Amino acid sequence: MRIPLMPVGIPAATTACALAFGIGSAAADPADYNALLVNPNDVTDSTAYTASAPVQNPNNQQGISAVYTHRDGTRQITETVLVLPDPAAATTAMNSSQNEMASRIANEKTQPVQVGTGATLLTGSSPDGTKSVSVLLFTQGNAATTVEFDGPPADAAPTEFVVDLGQKQDAAIKNALWS
Amino acid sequence: MRKLAVVVAAAAVLASPLTVTQAAQAADVSNDTTVYAPAPGPTPRVHPMDCAGTTGRMGCGPGWTWRDGWRGWACYAC
Repeated sequence: MRIPLMPVGIPAATTACALAFGIGSAAADPADYNALLVNPNDVTDSTAYTASAPVQNPNNQQGISAVYTHRDGTRQITETVLVLPDPAAATTAMNSSQNEMASRIANEKTQPVQVGTGATLLTGSSPDGTKSVSVLLFTQGNAATTVEFDGPPADAAPTEFVVDLGQKQDAAIKNALWS
Repeated sequence: MRKLAVVVAAAAVLASPLTVTQAAQAADVSNDTTVYAPAPGPTPRVHPMDCAGTTGRMGCGPGWTWRDGWRGWACYAC
């Protein structure tokens, strides 16, 4: 699988040129984006989470999103991978997501983490204080990824767990992007 | 004066075993090289305790507890 180097919606002439030189793919097959997601069960006891049906092109943006719910009903992980035209656009999208999070996370703390490119981990709580919120943002090539962890107020997602899942997510994107 | 005498007497009592031992060792001029190792005491057993002060479930060690958390069922820090 390969992430299209240029997402759907680009000028036809550019696509034709890319096809002529064997670059990218002719059209973005939405099913392809499933490979960009990583089930959290890959880093758990393997049965803790149940996946929702992935949403293709969330908010009319090229990419994929899925929600994973813990069996105890108190924890939820939301993965969103957007496929942008180029790495610069991916960075812009990531920064935009980070700005949006400011209104959704109270007592926000920011720390850099070793995942993909320019990764940031935002931690805090929901504005009403009823749940903990951790958000991992990073880019890999022309993909911008957001992984949100919502849990009990006194049991935020451990950083090593967030990083562990993020690194698997990054590897999946790299594999799709460059393989 | 009386207090001083009591202190000196107490010191003498405490020091006497050392003095006797030293004298005994000094008198031991034999070439016996046998070493009498002290009898081994009971082997200490370590019982790791979890958050509740018990030995814990599933082998979780001190400061850890077994519960269903972010990674599913696993040992988590207290």
